[in-house]
Amino acid sequence: MLGRHGNSLFWMARYLERSENIARGIQATLHHALSREDDGEQEWEAIVNNGGAGKIFKRKNHDTLSTTNIINFLLRDRDNPNSVTSLMSKARQNGRSVRTSLTQEVWLSLNESWIACETALNRPLSVHELPIILEGIIKGSCLFRGALYGTMLHNDIFNFLRLGTFIERADNTFRTVGAKHHRLLPTAKVIGGSEDQSQWEVMLRSLAAWRSFNWLNKGQLDPLSVADFLIFDERMPRSINFCYKEVTSNLEDLSNSYRRNYKSLDMSREICLGLTCGRSKNIQKFDLRNFINDYIWKNSQLSLTIASDFNLN
Amino acid sequence: MFDEMLGEHNQEARKPYEQLVSWLKEQDHKKLLKKSVTAEQLFRRIGITFNVYGDKEAEERLIPFDLIPRILAADEWRTLERGIIQRVAAINAFLHDIYNGQQIIKAGVIPADLIYKNKAFLPQMCGFTPAGGVYTHVVGVDIVRTGPNDFFVLEDNARVPSGVSYMLENRSTMQHMFPELFTAHKIKPISHYPKELYNSLSKCAKNTIDNPNVAVLTPGIFNSAYYEHSFLADEMGVELVQGSDLEVHDGRVMIRTTAGTETVDVIYRRIDDDFLDPLSFGPNSLLGTPGLFDAYRNGAVILANAPGTGIADDKAIYSYIPEIIKFYMGEKALLNNIPTWRCADPDNLIYVLDHLHELVVKEVHGSGGYGMLVGTAASKHELATFAKKLKANPGKYVAQPTLALSTVPVLTKSGLAPRHVDLRPFVLVSPDNIKVTPGGLTRVALKKGSLIVNSSQGGGTKDTWVIGS
Repeated sequence: MLGRHGNSLFWMARYLERSENIARGIQATLHHALSREDDGEQEWEAIVNNGGAGKIFKRKNHDTLSTTNIINFLLRDRDNPNSVTSLMSKARQNGRSVRTSLTQEVWLSLNESWIACETALNRPLSVHELPIILEGIIKGSCLFRGALYGTMLHNDIFNFLRLGTFIERADNTFRTVGAKHHRLLPTAKVIGGSEDQSQWEVMLRSLAAWRSFNWLNKGQLDPLSVADFLIFDERMPRSINFCYKEVTSNLEDLSNSYRRNYKSLDMSREICLGLTCGRSKNIQKFDLRNFINDYIWKNSQLSLTIASDFNLN
Repeated sequence: MFDEMLGEHNQEARKPYEQLVSWLKEQDHKKLLKKSVTAEQLFRRIGITFNVYGDKEAEERLIPFDLIPRILAADEWRTLERGIIQRVAAINAFLHDIYNGQQIIKAGVIPADLIYKNKAFLPQMCGFTPAGGVYTHVVGVDIVRTGPNDFFVLEDNARVPSGVSYMLENRSTMQHMFPELFTAHKIKPISHYPKELYNSLSKCAKNTIDNPNVAVLTPGIFNSAYYEHSFLADEMGVELVQGSDLEVHDGRVMIRTTAGTETVDVIYRRIDDDFLDPLSFGPNSLLGTPGLFDAYRNGAVILANAPGTGIADDKAIYSYIPEIIKFYMGEKALLNNIPTWRCADPDNLIYVLDHLHELVVKEVHGSGGYGMLVGTAASKHELATFAKKLKANPGKYVAQPTLALSTVPVLTKSGLAPRHVDLRPFVLVSPDNIKVTPGGLTRVALKKGSLIVNSSQGGGTKDTWVIGS
């Protein structure tokens, strides 16, 4: 496979995963905003800053943090490189340049999602349209995933796509947890009123983990269980641990099929090991903030190493 | 005016169209229009689109597809096929001669200046014979028709002809939407084209290597024909590469892959000569691969088509094709040329200026329907402006009579209506034979009365059938 194609596959998967994550984040925030008496402005602000696009937003919107401004910025502003519209265009552009590596079903699911986004997001949106639009974006991503698993050869092409997905997903989980790390500190339980409870809920919902967390914990929310679940749980498809198991296994596949050892594989194994050790430590004394910052850095280093290991250019 | 369905006198239906006409009579017009929308959605979903240069980045257009097929009878096709094969064989002989020996110039058939002063002539190719002696692996010959037995060659596309993916996609769209038509007619199949292309390309490498590694070279996703490049690579099961994916190492051309590098033996290149190799041609090209041409001349890789084939499809050379066929094949040309006035000749220029309102004037080096004048459709002002350009630079132009191109009906909101068409059959040349895929791409001018069929100028396409035996 061409190095350039490997690169396009990797980034196509990252952009798609990111657009799904943004849609889920908005969905969770919307739910939060609608479930309270004030308009949940703080949460909307947090979601803009979380994506790292706060500066562009301020420059464009002169500090008016209205909900309508924010959702339009996050979903359809082409000046925002991480708006769903921008991400879908980039994902499709990458997909177009690797059409020959995709099955017809995978390509169609991507192209149709892109057409649907272009149609739905081509005019200013108001809040009442959000539920259907967000659902559409998430569904498109699910369809793509299904087509991928069901119709593609599980070979190197598949591996690069999965690497992109899980590197991006790990990054998103880190950032989501990191943004609210102070709410997950052991001391938070003391402060923890209903405000904290609803913050944890937003976090879990953004990571599609609300139902599964409740099911496992019989509806009992406490900060340590939430942190443990999102970082260490091996069954939860958006936990850090789960993402790195997948990254490692895809790198192992590549190492086996190319019959070579790669630096990125060593790095990924090391991160997995670090996570296992991290969990066994007393979580009460765990420095969550440093942990998160450290791993966001490690994650981006890993992404760069993958690129140089496999000639992704 | 000759209509291919109804004939010259608006008869009931010409023979090849009899069954189609009776089928059309049973169809509900509104339902057909709906099918037309379905076809468009299908093209959009699959992403069969093209980019128009200068348009906004995001804009991708569809080439309009018309549902009414164009039909040629097997005997009509045989005439065309024979003529095309003869023409393409002569073009390859001409190319070999021009770059080795130049007998045709020595014999005084073609003026030397016409070759040496021509931008399409590539001195770098002199003294070199491509593998298998094949210069034009793929050719698209544009043909127009004016009567039941009157076919003319409008243009030979011997550089990087495009459109074959539309020929194939049009057919599969028709099969998808109107399967009943395909059981009622015996239509010659075309779906084997990509396999034949692959075989034909690998045959050229057969002398040196058994299982050659073939790749399609594209300028990238913003090229207007990118869909076609990816379609062909996909159908042939080969890599679709850009210049930046290739590097030349120890004289071999290598593809950079995720597992290291691998050698490539045959490159079906869909980029122009100028962009192939910044070391040998356009030094500013960012699309090409440094050292590619040297590797080619040393026989390490095959380029299809060969660089420098443009000298054979140049509009000034075109007028000499009958002489070229006679010179190399010893035969009279089976297919007619359109009479052509070379404006470089002073007598011709006077004639052309006098008759501008009834002629079609084209740029010698132009393509895609850009920069041409259709005298019959031009305003007085346009004629005057064009005359000035012509006088200033006569060598840049050739002129041809305005032909009454045949029409085939298209589906419009108010029923069927005749529109002018041309035909581009696709020809594959391998060391031991020349094959023409039955039918080709029919391009149709969708505006009433218009003669310009180019997709960049609002033309559409049709499925093209060869039926009977």
